[in-house]
Amino acid sequence: MALWCGALWPMGGKMAAPMQRALCGAAVPWRWALGPRWLAAAAAPRWRLVGALCLQRPPSITQALSPEQEEMAQLVHQIEVEKSNFSDHEIRRLAEEEQLRKMKDNIQDEEADSGQAIVLAQDLEDAWEQKFQQFKAGPRITDADKRNDRTSLNRKLDRNLMLLVKEKVGNQELWLLPQAEWQAGETLRSTAERALATLSGNCIQAKFLGNAPCGLYKYKFPRALRTEGSVGAKIFFFKALLQSGDLPQAERKEDYVWVSRGELGDYLKPDYLTQVNRFLMDQ
Amino acid sequence: MRLARRFSWSAPFSPTSQLSWTIHFRGNHWQTSMLAFQASLPMRAEPRKKKKADPRREQAQKDRMKKKIKKLEKAALEMIPIEDFVTPFKFLDASRVRDISPLSFEESERRALLLKKWALYKQKEHEAEMETLKSLMAAQQEALEELRLESEELYQAAIRRDDDLFPFEKEGPTYTPQVPGYEAPEGKCIDVTKVYTQ
Repeated sequence: MALWCGALWPMGGKMAAPMQRALCGAAVPWRWALGPRWLAAAAAPRWRLVGALCLQRPPSITQALSPEQEEMAQLVHQIEVEKSNFSDHEIRRLAEEEQLRKMKDNIQDEEADSGQAIVLAQDLEDAWEQKFQQFKAGPRITDADKRNDRTSLNRKLDRNLMLLVKEKVGNQELWLLPQAEWQAGETLRSTAERALATLSGNCIQAKFLGNAPCGLYKYKFPRALRTEGSVGAKIFFFKALLQSGDLPQAERKEDYVWVSRGELGDYLKPDYLTQVNRFLMDQ
Repeated sequence: MRLARRFSWSAPFSPTSQLSWTIHFRGNHWQTSMLAFQASLPMRAEPRKKKKADPRREQAQKDRMKKKIKKLEKAALEMIPIEDFVTPFKFLDASRVRDISPLSFEESERRALLLKKWALYKQKEHEAEMETLKSLMAAQQEALEELRLESEELYQAAIRRDDDLFPFEKEGPTYTPQVPGYEAPEGKCIDVTKVYTQ
């Protein structure tokens, strides 16, 4: 056995990992003969891989303008009006106002007053205004906002809403982004897709933004739970945009929430939160 | 036709043979004389007799047309006018100009100060955006590095291009949310944009 290991040494330890493990699974004394690479592999901690999903519902209405933006918008509009010329409608309106003024001054004028069925520009404007008043726009602040119902998707229409789930990790109930453990034979993105499918039961359509993870959170298990195979876990986050669908309402009402970035702090642990905040766009 | 044409040249050109032409049987009732076969029914719809001058005249016409076409092609192509850059004359009228009194001192001061404030605001906004993007990229880079440490195969799968991502289409936000069950008022949109062809 020693001679054989010696013969393999000139290869510089370039054997494939399974072969190494097969040869030296339990053969502790032979470890030193196979070169530094195997040693490094044995000493490096093994982490469990977890794919997590950052599902975001994009905003459907624009955010309100900040005071500076409001002021600037007004100024820009003012300058625009000052630099413009009169339009046809405005000229017509001015001409008609002149006429009305003249008619009021010269009451003696009897030039076919009764025969006039002309539509004045002012009348047109009034008609348009009335039509606009009849239109009922959808409310920007919805009922769900007023009730602060965090399980509803109709809340905070001008922000990104993220899905958080309450899960039992170890012996603790924690709020975190939906995740699933990686299984051999699938990519991490498909792990995240699997997490979404198991959570929503195929009710949700989401668009994943690329194959690469957007963030990472790694943590070590408490000493008691550490084994040879796993020192801790690495959670890789994948971003997805919600296109349609929602979680089935009947199940688990208290176990999930849709929250905006500001409200994440109410649910997530501090370390986890800092890592998650790194890959969220400011709101 | 063939029937009518079959005559024998047995004898040299003699009055008897000529006579025999006219007496020869006619295969059809619409053919009044042997020689006038072009006037028979199927051919009556054609343009009338083509004189020798006609082909020449037609040829001359065609040549003239071709010359005209060549001239047009040789001339430089007329550029399609850009409607936005051409102010129609009716808008250049003097009566259209607004008469605005010059700005007061306070107003001009207020505007200048507001523009300075706005410049600062936009600068801060830009810096914040750049910071967010840097943080995004750093987080992704870190995640990919850690993934590489774990498994090369998963790393390669992660950095592979996602072909389904683009073209990416999404409706942007509006000022008010969608009203469910809203019926837009009926009307027809008639497109009056001028279309130019070169």
